[in-house]
Amino acid sequence: MKILVPCKRVPDPDQKLCLNADATDIDASALTFILNPFDAIAVEEALRIRETAHPEAEIIAVSIAPAEGEADLRTALAMGADRALLIEHEGSMDPWNVARLLAAVIQNEQPSLVLMGKQAVDDDANQVGQFLAAQLGWPQATFASQIKFTDNGIRIHRETDLGIEIIHVVLPAVITADLRLNEPRYASLPGILKAKKKPTEHITPTELGIELEPRIRLLGMELVNSQRTCEKVTTATDLLIKLREADVIEG
Amino acid sequence: MGKDTSDVIIIGGGVAGLSTAMQLAKRGVSVTVLEREQISNGSTGRAAGLLGQLRGTAEHTRMLMDGVEIVKGLEAKVGVEIYVQTGSVRVAETPDRSQEITDLVEMGRSINFDIAHIAIDELAERMPYMHTDDITDACWCPTDGHLQPAELAAAYHKVGRDHGARYQTNCPVTGVLLDGNKALGVQTPNGDFRAPIIVNAAGPWSHLVAGLTGTTLPTAALGHIYLTTQPHPDHPVNRLSPGFRNRHHRIYGRPENGGLLVGIYAEDCSEHDMSILPPDFDMSAMKARRDDIHLAMLIHAAQQRFPWIDERTPMHITTGIMTFTPDGLPFCGQLPDYEGLYYCTGFSGHGIVQSPAIGLIMSELILDGNSTYDIASIEADRYWDVPGFQDRAEIQQRCYTMQGSYYGRVEGKTAAENQNGT
Repeated sequence: MKILVPCKRVPDPDQKLCLNADATDIDASALTFILNPFDAIAVEEALRIRETAHPEAEIIAVSIAPAEGEADLRTALAMGADRALLIEHEGSMDPWNVARLLAAVIQNEQPSLVLMGKQAVDDDANQVGQFLAAQLGWPQATFASQIKFTDNGIRIHRETDLGIEIIHVVLPAVITADLRLNEPRYASLPGILKAKKKPTEHITPTELGIELEPRIRLLGMELVNSQRTCEKVTTATDLLIKLREADVIEG
Repeated sequence: MGKDTSDVIIIGGGVAGLSTAMQLAKRGVSVTVLEREQISNGSTGRAAGLLGQLRGTAEHTRMLMDGVEIVKGLEAKVGVEIYVQTGSVRVAETPDRSQEITDLVEMGRSINFDIAHIAIDELAERMPYMHTDDITDACWCPTDGHLQPAELAAAYHKVGRDHGARYQTNCPVTGVLLDGNKALGVQTPNGDFRAPIIVNAAGPWSHLVAGLTGTTLPTAALGHIYLTTQPHPDHPVNRLSPGFRNRHHRIYGRPENGGLLVGIYAEDCSEHDMSILPPDFDMSAMKARRDDIHLAMLIHAAQQRFPWIDERTPMHITTGIMTFTPDGLPFCGQLPDYEGLYYCTGFSGHGIVQSPAIGLIMSELILDGNSTYDIASIEADRYWDVPGFQDRAEIQQRCYTMQGSYYGRVEGKTAAENQNGT
């Protein structure tokens, strides 16, 4: 069994962001990047499948990033993925084209399962898994919080606003991981050492036979203004007056 | 005295600065603490909070024993239990390390510190979650314990405030005002603050603050990491389970919320250049990468003593920055060649445990000109103008080596002399 895990490289969410000079995108020059936390959950689930149901499984991590994005693919390798594929690309890419590139990789690799994060924590698009399943014509199970192999497929718990939806899909399929699917492991010392020797293949969209056709154009970015204007009041009465003025309380 | 004028300015709102401010305020001195960000949000807020009282010399151990009494006194003042007296163990698994333990017990006893050898059976009973089969010797210090550093900082802060100390947060110091070699005050984006005495308690930023007067302070900012497991169903850790130190595997730890906290002084650590961090750098937001090599080393070491811990164990990781010196001891006191400039920094991973006594010592040095403690080993001028301690790269290397030798063994030194990293 082959499991393909798309891994997005995202800016570490615990850092302060700045815009570039013409406010068309985030200034990435001073940012540190990590493996998208939802994708780390997908990697973990793939490792658990190999540790339990399918010891023979091969786990392939795939990323679309500039060449230096290899560092974040190494995270997946250090956790235990078998090999990695980096589709080299500078700049942002819309979800449809991300799905097209992944679909091209899947044509080559023929995995029976694609496990990926339900969304990336940078743009929160939550579209690639769905697009990918549609392009491949595969069943999809999004927001998975539990997966179990059956004789002819996988039984999945989906986290929805209505409750846990339990569904069954046959393979091959695309499954996207929700937060509660598992708690991802850290890399072990042997894991980090082994990762250095694991193969990482670099490939370009052209080599995959894909000409990118952007469907969405990023016009600009604005930072969310989280600045609070504070004012000190000296008595409870003053506080009540302020709260009434701000329509926080009635009266 | 005006709003921006005081007797003493303390740069840095961590435990060192807060403890010093409290002791000075208690003696009626007007003190202003200037903190670049929020109170105790630097190294203090990231510390593990172990209070092990035994150190390399009798004088240091006395400081730490007195420190525990100061903390207990604070508890009475603020009405909150801060100190958790769990007792602590040290374990050895080789003849060399066993000898260290024997030496330590002897030294501890010679200065009336409560310490004794403990049988392996009893050790296993106290810490059933620990692998003890390969342990050859252990000692037990019943009066050791731990605390939450933020609670200690809050207590210093409250008592200081009650005695009139003032605290300015979000107030980074950008310049030091001098009249010749005499301290006049400091510059900040919020205006100038004036005082004839300025204490540099800026932790990992200390050498940058020293640089504002063109002074070389031999400290380096080095990374540290510890893990805290979630409660494990098969290996419960009692709230009052002992703290531990296992020098062979370079780990220490204590109970935390039903789980186990384990930290490491590995031979290698990360190095941080504080001068290139953004001005709004927030240490409390530091995170380790999932494939951080130092984290992997920590997990590997923890697993040797606690085999139920591995990379899959649900745990929380804390990383932070410590301020190391070339000999692992802090700089406390007045700078030579200046009037009114003091250092209170470089606690090398032992800032929390040293802070109660250090506050007292600093207040004595500032107000009386001398201390009731023998402070020769921590004097501020011990590397002043000493060749080999003036160049940043060289300082960095010396401090880095010191960190790596914590918990290591230095040939030709006695166990007691070797006890910096305790």
